[in-house]
Amino acid sequence: MNTKRMWMLATLLVAALVLAACPAPAAQAPAAMEEEAPAAEAMDEGPCAPAADGPLAGIDPRGQTIVWWHQHRGSREEKLAVIVEDFNANNECGIVLDAQNQGGYNDIRDKVNASTASGEQPASLIVGYQNDQAFYQLNGVLADFDTFIDDPTWGFTAEERDDFFASFMEQGVHPVFDSQRLGFPPNRSMEVLYYNQTWLEELGFAGPPSTPDEFEEMACAGAEANGDGTGGYILRDDASAMASWTFALGGDVLNDDNTGYVYNGQATIDAMTMLKRMFDNGCAYFFTEGYPNPEFAARRASFTQGSSSGLPFYANDMVTIAEEQGRDMDVWGVTAIPHTTENPVQNIYGADVMITAGPPEQELAAWLFIKWFTSPEVQARWVEASNYFPTRAGTEAHLSGYVEENPQYGEALALLGHGAYEPQLISYQAVRDAAETAFNEIMQGADIQATLDGLTETANELQEELMGEVE
Amino acid sequence: MLLAYSFLAPAFIIIGLFGLFPLAFAAYESTLRGLNKIVGSYDGLGNYVKAVDNLIYIINFWLAVGLVYFAVSMIARAVQEHRQEQTNAMRWALPAALTAAGTALFARFVFILLPEMLLIPSKLRGQNNTREAFRSLVVETWWLPTVQIALWIGVVFLAAGAVWALLINRQMPKDGRDRIYFMPFFNAGVCLISGAALIWFTLTEINAAYAEALEEGVGLELWSQIVTISAGFLLLLLAWRLWESARDRSSNTGVALRLVGAVALMAGAWVLIAELPRAVAAGDEDWWNGLMATVFYVLGTVPIQLGLALILSALLFQKIRGQTLFRVLYFLPYVAPFVGTAAVFRIIFSNRPTAPLNSLLDLFGAEPLLWLSEPAGIIQMITGGKIDLGPILSGPSLALVAIMIYGTWTYVGFDTVIFLAGLGAIPNELYEVADIDGAGGWAQFRHVTLPLLSPTIYFLSLYAVIGTFKAFNHIFVLRQAAALGTTDTASIVIFQAFKRDTRYGYASALAILLLLIIMIITLVNNRIASRRVFYG
Amino acid sequence: MADEAIASSALQTRWADPATRRAALNQAIIYTVLIIGAAAAILPFLYTVSVSLMNLTEATGGRALPSTPQWTNYTEAWHDAQFSLYFMNSVKITLISVGGAVVFCALAAYAFAQMEFPGKSFLFTLLLSTLMLPEAITWVPNFITVSWLGRISPIPWINNWPSLTIPFMASAFGIFLLRQFFQQIPRELWDSAQIDGSGHLRYLITVVLPLSTAAVMTLVLFGFVGAWNALAWPILVTTSSDWRPISYGLLVFLDEAGALLHLQMAGAIITMLPIVLLYFFTQRHFIEGIATTGLKG
Repeated sequence: MNTKRMWMLATLLVAALVLAACPAPAAQAPAAMEEEAPAAEAMDEGPCAPAADGPLAGIDPRGQTIVWWHQHRGSREEKLAVIVEDFNANNECGIVLDAQNQGGYNDIRDKVNASTASGEQPASLIVGYQNDQAFYQLNGVLADFDTFIDDPTWGFTAEERDDFFASFMEQGVHPVFDSQRLGFPPNRSMEVLYYNQTWLEELGFAGPPSTPDEFEEMACAGAEANGDGTGGYILRDDASAMASWTFALGGDVLNDDNTGYVYNGQATIDAMTMLKRMFDNGCAYFFTEGYPNPEFAARRASFTQGSSSGLPFYANDMVTIAEEQGRDMDVWGVTAIPHTTENPVQNIYGADVMITAGPPEQELAAWLFIKWFTSPEVQARWVEASNYFPTRAGTEAHLSGYVEENPQYGEALALLGHGAYEPQLISYQAVRDAAETAFNEIMQGADIQATLDGLTETANELQEELMGEVE
Repeated sequence: MLLAYSFLAPAFIIIGLFGLFPLAFAAYESTLRGLNKIVGSYDGLGNYVKAVDNLIYIINFWLAVGLVYFAVSMIARAVQEHRQEQTNAMRWALPAALTAAGTALFARFVFILLPEMLLIPSKLRGQNNTREAFRSLVVETWWLPTVQIALWIGVVFLAAGAVWALLINRQMPKDGRDRIYFMPFFNAGVCLISGAALIWFTLTEINAAYAEALEEGVGLELWSQIVTISAGFLLLLLAWRLWESARDRSSNTGVALRLVGAVALMAGAWVLIAELPRAVAAGDEDWWNGLMATVFYVLGTVPIQLGLALILSALLFQKIRGQTLFRVLYFLPYVAPFVGTAAVFRIIFSNRPTAPLNSLLDLFGAEPLLWLSEPAGIIQMITGGKIDLGPILSGPSLALVAIMIYGTWTYVGFDTVIFLAGLGAIPNELYEVADIDGAGGWAQFRHVTLPLLSPTIYFLSLYAVIGTFKAFNHIFVLRQAAALGTTDTASIVIFQAFKRDTRYGYASALAILLLLIIMIITLVNNRIASRRVFYG
Repeated sequence: MADEAIASSALQTRWADPATRRAALNQAIIYTVLIIGAAAAILPFLYTVSVSLMNLTEATGGRALPSTPQWTNYTEAWHDAQFSLYFMNSVKITLISVGGAVVFCALAAYAFAQMEFPGKSFLFTLLLSTLMLPEAITWVPNFITVSWLGRISPIPWINNWPSLTIPFMASAFGIFLLRQFFQQIPRELWDSAQIDGSGHLRYLITVVLPLSTAAVMTLVLFGFVGAWNALAWPILVTTSSDWRPISYGLLVFLDEAGALLHLQMAGAIITMLPIVLLYFFTQRHFIEGIATTGLKG
């Protein structure tokens, strides 16, 4: 028995040694939790003093440390860091913002959901799409922005409030959750058509297409010029592309009371009929091996379609490939998706920021950062750094120099006024996949009407099924 | 004995936390519904019914039967030995049963504690989320009366059983002629209790389903389905048994038995073919398609992967020039990061007419193929697509086949390394002896290498089957919308339900179903392997 | 029959017919098979290397070889992906988890292979069943576990080494693998070790482990590959660059590099180099069959 105990001891020792051998860094509890600024009791004045009355009376945002989980990387992350640095050094409340990249949108979503499940405090500010907001709020994770926006001390003036594009602001409001405003728009992107002006001119066209017919003609001309299956328009089978074409042809993918999907409207059918025809005639092709921008830059595609947030990547590839091929760079640009409507209706999308429910001081401090970050001067800086679009009209005044330098950005900015939006229903993530499949089925020869009818049915079933689980 | 447990302890603590807890979690979650809710509302077998329709009742019923059969056969064996060898097996029955009951009660305690604990995060929301707040909530939950009562009932039973068993053990003569019959009885007890619990649970669910159907005024054919499908299974089982026993009989009886067996087979198959589709009609179509794709994936990768690896490792084990180089080369695919290799395979299997493989086809005058964008089944394509073969007979889609090639390409190196390690463990002198005996190369391979390599082969085949059944990464990085979902295996369906839709309950139910399938296959594999694996 | 003869001679040249012609034929067959196999294994990989040396036009234009190798792609990828920032983290994470895995798996595998105790097969089945749950399901419960353990233990687990290493310190794969090898060690060795007064632990360390070098090296190798390439879990449990591994650097870089296929490939090759080196230096442990007779009884 004794020897046995000895061995047990030895085993434990080995285990302990292995654990002890690993470097044990000093405990790093999130700074935000340690710094609980004591509520000031005495009458407090000066900058950033707690409000004396109103719903946020007595809440002191000073000295809070706020974490922000975002998805910006590379140069965007670096430029964001400079702006955040500025905030940290100069905000009169002494709030410290810690902006952390957490991977992509899906990674952030996973992290928030895992934090919710485990009771770990997520960051005070998180980035995510509108249908994510609904998922989060099923667990009451988010704070209502209206509390802050409408506050007499900390909120917006009526003038500031109206400066924001109303449609962007609406996207974060959720009727399912008492019309709480769960998201706030720091920036937006839009679905645009990239075109090669130089090439179009060589093919005998004056400029980019504005109607579907012109578009089809030009794409076919490009395809004919290349003659190897490329040269036309690179098909985008994403649900956002499907929605964009529907909007451009005067339709919608959401039903009238915003509770379900309509993918079989006439506009969608027309759009799909045209794309299928283009595909069959070799005027449009699939490129599945990577991103379309180098194809576009190398003149293998006359048109591509995608988010305007890709602008810097296109610009970069155009320069690089022209240099490598030893020719002058083609003049290129972005334009509205070819449309039959009077005004080009643009599919505008973009992630919101959200404030997670936590101690009121932190929520308030998080709001103060957002308020600062979306002020016209700062938003202009961010927009220039990121190539995103501003979300309030006042920002444009600060952008004139930038627009001059970046004509493509200017072209897209001019389209911002005519926005339409993709659904924010809770099932949209799953429906996007279904839409993508339907797009491919059509291109592979399935009957357009029947496929779109089926997609509409599937989409509404998915919505019903998921809402059924919400109860 | 204590030493053995202390050797196991560290590994089992870690595996308990990060392997067994997720299992318990999934089992618990699978009975709940609710979007993005860890503690949703209780839904019984609802998630399973959504996935496989009424088949779940039949599965449960047969699982329970299997458990009871297992228990009875164990007891029977102990009793038989007890008679034959004049040992006193029966005195172990009561303490073992007591311990088994204790174990079951302890499991019950876990499933009482788990939901309470999982509610802590929602309690923390809105208040100051500090370590202290969390700890006090944990302590509070632990001392809940329901939790404590469940815990102590379990502990008392366990302790009583264990002490009793130890007392018997102490009474036994030291010469050790008497075997310890604790485990067989304990196992039998656990099986009996879980079988009974399963039946009770299923019956409750069936009654609930009938009550609901009555309320809604629709008819339900649950029982008739259970009876007919079970009868079908029984007939198949009977046919198999008859066939087996026919082998040992004289020719005439054998033929007769085979005839009866064939009739039973046909009858059983007919009943199943007629009834099964009706029983699963309302199940999740994506899930069934996912399972079919999974089966294709497993059948298409495991044998090829293992066969290639075995040949390569046998060759690499020879004394040849450039051995090191070859070994490194074969290993490269496994260590290269997905992002790099997936990008390359996307290019190789591109649908462009000028892509590498299509250029090769062009060289032979063949038409370019769509590869990763091709949803049509390969057998369908080979036969020219003139006859509609249906989903199963048309085989895996070309897109899935491309992914299988990618998976095989990656894992051959992995398998080869393990085979090499296995070959390295074969003592050289065995070959020398064989040499002296004049055994040729093939004879040596069959009679020395293969038997001595059998533990490694067993390990790899088991691991490869388990691994490919839940294969995910390779498929996820290459799947394209143009394949119309034909590449979505079961694990992809589970991933989408869990991560994209946050239907934790439903995804967990699917995961448990997949686990059951893998487990049954593993058991069968073990059954076969136990006769063939040879440990030195 | 003829096939069998060829196969047999190909498989076991060590004892091939002394006739030189036949030996030469054997060699030729072996090399043919090996070279064809190696080509299949290596071609996609060579293409990766080739693309990693191209410029953007060539990389996206479907070229097979670069006109002039762009070695700067590698320096660019190294800097842009901030690999230097994450490299040491990956080394630390990998060493801790692989070290732990070897110790814990060896102990447990030894118990399963060489010791008798009640519940052995039950525990082993339990062990295997943990392999059968799809990974997607395990992330949330495992996050709950590390988060909670961090809140009741003195050091936090999230964004710290325990959450990145401890879950991987014991795996059913490792235990199962080692058990298969430990089980093949002849019982006589244990008997003689006992006569020498050796206990289980000393026997494990002085006899069993040295005899199973190949298996242990396999475990080290695969533990290393797993830890080195892990991505989803590290992103979930880290929030800052303090403990993020190199695969995170690669992911962020890939997203930023976007369409820059050549830089992606360069980044991918940089991350895999350490593993290839490790394999190169451990592979000699797989070469020779062991000689049990040489061991002292």
